[in-house]
Amino acid sequence: MLDLGAARIDLADGDRTFRLEVEALRLEPGQMLALTGSSGSGKTLLLELLGLLRAPGQGTRFRWLGETGEVDLAALWSRGARNAELSRLRGRLFGFVPQTGGLMPFLSVAENIALPQRVNGAPDPGRVEHLMERLGLSDIARLRPDALSIGQRQRTAIARALSHRPPFVIADEPTAALDPETSDRVLDLLLDAARAEGSGVILSSHDIDRIERFAIPRVALSAESAGGTVTSRLEGATC
Amino acid sequence: MLILSLAWRALLRDRFFLFCNVAVMVGILVPLLVLLGVKNGVYQALVGEMLADPANLQIDTAGNATLTEDEIAPLRGWPEIAFLTPKVRGQFDYMNVRAVDGRRMSTALMIPTGEGDPTLPKGAALAEGEVAVSAQLAAQLDLTPGTEVQLISQAEDRPKQLVLPARVGLVLPANATAGRAVLAPFATLDLIEAFYDSYSLPDYGIEGAKPLSERAPTYAGLRAYARSLEDLAGLQTRIEKQLGLATSARTRDVESLLGLGRKLNLALLGTAVLAAIGLGAALVLGFWSDVLRKRTVLAGIALIGVPSHRLALFPMVQALITAVLGLALSFLLYLLAGRGATWLFGQGLPGEAPLAHIGTGQGIAIAAAVLLLALLASGAAAWSALRLDPASVLREGT
Repeated sequence: MLDLGAARIDLADGDRTFRLEVEALRLEPGQMLALTGSSGSGKTLLLELLGLLRAPGQGTRFRWLGETGEVDLAALWSRGARNAELSRLRGRLFGFVPQTGGLMPFLSVAENIALPQRVNGAPDPGRVEHLMERLGLSDIARLRPDALSIGQRQRTAIARALSHRPPFVIADEPTAALDPETSDRVLDLLLDAARAEGSGVILSSHDIDRIERFAIPRVALSAESAGGTVTSRLEGATC
Repeated sequence: MLILSLAWRALLRDRFFLFCNVAVMVGILVPLLVLLGVKNGVYQALVGEMLADPANLQIDTAGNATLTEDEIAPLRGWPEIAFLTPKVRGQFDYMNVRAVDGRRMSTALMIPTGEGDPTLPKGAALAEGEVAVSAQLAAQLDLTPGTEVQLISQAEDRPKQLVLPARVGLVLPANATAGRAVLAPFATLDLIEAFYDSYSLPDYGIEGAKPLSERAPTYAGLRAYARSLEDLAGLQTRIEKQLGLATSARTRDVESLLGLGRKLNLALLGTAVLAAIGLGAALVLGFWSDVLRKRTVLAGIALIGVPSHRLALFPMVQALITAVLGLALSFLLYLLAGRGATWLFGQGLPGEAPLAHIGTGQGIAIAAAVLLLALLASGAAAWSALRLDPASVLREGT
């Protein structure tokens, strides 16, 4: 379980300050959660925090409670943003689906999907085959990303995010670059594949209609401005 | 290692970038290699020509002196001396020579020799009772190795000739020594001098005025051969200082050639340093700009769990691959250019030596220096990769 609490991150840009506050957020492996909120409300920042890409603020409680025991993630950050253990844990706990796929342009579809397995030292060609089949990528397995459509890239990114059986997949606005029809298809595939593989999905979106249509539990970030400071807080789950 | 394979695959995809950097390396390295090769080739040919004549390594005491064995003995241990022999008095240098079964007789210069004498072919040694003869004397008297000869002398005031039997052990190449000469152990020459000094030599049927046992051996000088051309000038000074005698040697010619080599080396080193600065700057900017261009890809690799310090290896691996390809192509083009240059301008070089030549040691040193330069040049790129924020991939497009 990911356990985040008493989190406060401050970002400064000149005279303006942005503050993200999360009182408590607990996520079980396999759980689905959508972060919603207006632009600039800190959805990506919270995803980064959860995905071990952003240092938690002072006093933040951030733990991973896994089958093998508890890891104090906040304490790991104190050893420096570039410590190898943090990278390894990020690779093991999360799969990522960036907006535009974030694929390696010099690797084929199959190699891209296998990459997290290689990073985690657990190659599993059978699972790569299985994911390609599930996501309809078998026919384009040997193509490189520059020969794929945007939809195919997103499906490849989903397969890659799931290939090493992470407890969570983090997807930042995974459908923002797609047309409505393709968006529905990609989101459906992401949720369906993650459920089938036992991974949870944490995604950000400003498209509340689509989130509700897919019945994804959501929490909203709401921002309010006072003086030169914008403070964004996580509101309780709805849905 | 995963990062090696990713760096290699990325480089293969970005062939154009790879070719650009390799072209920059080849453009700088090939002219330098050709320059170094031609300098080596021409200079080594000149040095080789000089070494082919052992007289260029020779130091002789001038005039007739009187040296004792005690005075000469310390010189025998000097490391820069390849061969040293005392000399007999100049007027006793000539003997008549004839083959035992031959009709003709010829006067020949007697030269002392021994182990290490550069006049003899490398590794050659004379057995007891053997002498070496010059090519001219061998041709004149039909001498071949194994021919039995007699060395004959006659002093004006002696009733009997001294006849020394000997066997031809070696016929020297034409460039080893000029004219008619016999190279024999110093003891033979000493015996001849004793004969002229009227000592009795009962082993050879010579009855003299004094018994040989009364003879105190003294030498009229010495001849030494330096171990290398570089040793010659220093050795000449050292011998003169040690013995308090003037000497003669071809020091000026040798130093002039060595000075030319030193100046060429210095000029080449200066050119190489300037070229290395240029090449280094081009590679630093090339590798660095490539990391900036690929920052999303590299951040994507970090995003999926590759630690930063391994990510930093990515540009370094690419730099090494680029350097290896650049070196291989540069040496290949150098070999072709060297052959072309030898074909066009290499006529007249001694021993059919190539006009351009780079030794294995020099080649390895150049390759190591270029690899190190490429590795250092990729340092800025590695630092840049180390500082990449993996979150930038997630924010991409937002």
